Amino acid sequence: MKNILSKYSPAGTLYFIGSMLILLAIWQLVTFVTKAEIPGPLATWAVFSEMLADPFYDYGPNDKGIGIQLWSSLKRVFIGFSLGSLVAIPLGLIMGSSKIGMKLLNPIVQILRPVSPLAWFPLGLLAFKASDQATIFIIMITSLWPTLINTAFGVSTIPADHKNVGKAFGFSRWKYITKILIPFSLPHIITGLRLSIGIAWVVIVAGEMLSGGVGIGFFVWDSWNGLSLEKILSAILIIGIVGLLFDKIFNVLQKTFSYESK
Amino acid sequence: MKANNELLIDDSSSFHKIVTEKSIDIKNVTVSFKSKGKGVFTAVKDINLEIGKGEIVSIIGHSGCGKSTLMNTISGMVSPSSGEVIANNKVVTGPGPDRGIVFQNYSLLPWLTVYKNVFEAVDSVLPHLSKAEKIELVEKNLNMVNLWEHKDKLPSQLSGGMKQRVAIARAFSINPSILLLDEPFGALDALTKGSMHIELLKLWNLDNRNKTIVMVTHDIEEAIFLSDRVVVMNNGPAATIKEIVDIPLARPRNKKDIIHLPEYIEVHDRLLNLLFDKFSIED
Ligand SMILES: Nc1ncnc2c1ncn2[C@@H]1O[C@H](COP(=O)(O)OP(=O)(O)O)[C@@H](O)[C@H]1O
Ligand SMILES: [Mg+2]
Repeated sequence: MKNILSKYSPAGTLYFIGSMLILLAIWQLVTFVTKAEIPGPLATWAVFSEMLADPFYDYGPNDKGIGIQLWSSLKRVFIGFSLGSLVAIPLGLIMGSSKIGMKLLNPIVQILRPVSPLAWFPLGLLAFKASDQATIFIIMITSLWPTLINTAFGVSTIPADHKNVGKAFGFSRWKYITKILIPFSLPHIITGLRLSIGIAWVVIVAGEMLSGGVGIGFFVWDSWNGLSLEKILSAILIIGIVGLLFDKIFNVLQKTFSYESK
Repeated sequence: MKANNELLIDDSSSFHKIVTEKSIDIKNVTVSFKSKGKGVFTAVKDINLEIGKGEIVSIIGHSGCGKSTLMNTISGMVSPSSGEVIANNKVVTGPGPDRGIVFQNYSLLPWLTVYKNVFEAVDSVLPHLSKAEKIELVEKNLNMVNLWEHKDKLPSQLSGGMKQRVAIARAFSINPSILLLDEPFGALDALTKGSMHIELLKLWNLDNRNKTIVMVTHDIEEAIFLSDRVVVMNNGPAATIKEIVDIPLARPRNKKDIIHLPEYIEVHDRLLNLLFDKFSIED
């Protein structure tokens, strides 16, 4: 779970810049080979900076600035992810701490987990009669599994040594949960959350292509219809950078709450 | 206070304590573990051992013979497959605050500071104390093991010996009538070990030698210096007690002086032979 980009050192920054230069070179090469059918970095930059110049314009339902698109995607991911986590963490705690809970819940998880979140979209539409809620619904489903599984794993692997401390000194249930169970499981829970939000961000783009309306995924699809490859490439860059930021944030959380590295 | 001090000075020099009150009674205890696939593994078998109130008893034996298992039946962390353990006149059914444990592997909670590790135990076992009293207890016991200035460190920042001292402070802080120490000084350097021995005996004396101490050790000298009796175990599986050796040395004992006593040398030889009978045929 180490993030090689997370160490701030001069050498690290240089490597990061080097890596970006390689990406630009490949991109330029593709543009060259496709005879500029796929726009190059420079052409994309022109459109990109134009998009950034006025990110929050709103000219009606089908023409909004990139900032508005991004913001509505972030909102959906945030709501769906929060709801999913609120379900996944308690369920994971139950699965991890009780053998019966594990035996009853695990088969359900194993069957539902491999299902593409997009397959839930029609059910979401049926249930909520609105594509916006249906998108949030699939994000919620997406966010469940990694958090659930990592939480359960964390709780079920509390070493006997730690449990024995609780037993030997007669910890109350509450003290056991707050001083042993949660502190031990927290790094695992955060790992789960980190994986969940990563996948949620992947799925939101596809979800919004299905749902339409407003959002970064819809923006990509709309740009395709409007045949603006520069916009698509700009959106891809933004999606990638936001995904990276999510990962960084959770990486910081992971470090903050991991007792080993303190 | 005065009475205590007088008692301290007045050392009864009897070799064998006249056992007035039983503290621990291990009756016919057998412990078997169910191991996956391999059926049942019997660690210790038919153990009988009576320990009087205020006695210090060491258990020695080779690695894996079941010393920790036997200790855990007293602490209540392991229940005997047959037989029973009586501690403070009650059948042991689980851990209790009358028995303080120092685990072989320290078992500190890695996310809590030294201070918090001790405090949570105190808070759990002595909930009726005020916050100030709890803090005082923690401070007193951490001072005893010379760790007060390290109170804000996490276990990962401590050496093995320091961790062990935290575990000792934690067990002492709940003031149990029975102290169960599983290789408590194993990770300490000779110097620290020596001063911990003294500390242990000091605490025992302060309490008018009312605390019963059962200790697992590998160190014959340590066992002799501290104990009234040394229990030597056979090798497992199904380990039994090989012999119980009385230590006929008056207290207070002086480490430097006792090693020259003929009684010491005799007991030392006896224990060595019991532990390392390479030339005898296993029966
Ligand atoms: N929970 C357990 N499950 C299965 N076997 C165990 C368990 N605890 C101890 N044993 C076995 O019992 C034997 C005695 O262990 P232990 O009491 O730890 O020995 P010692 O403390 O003397 O080194 C060992 O062979 C060990 O593998
Ligand atoms: Mg042991």
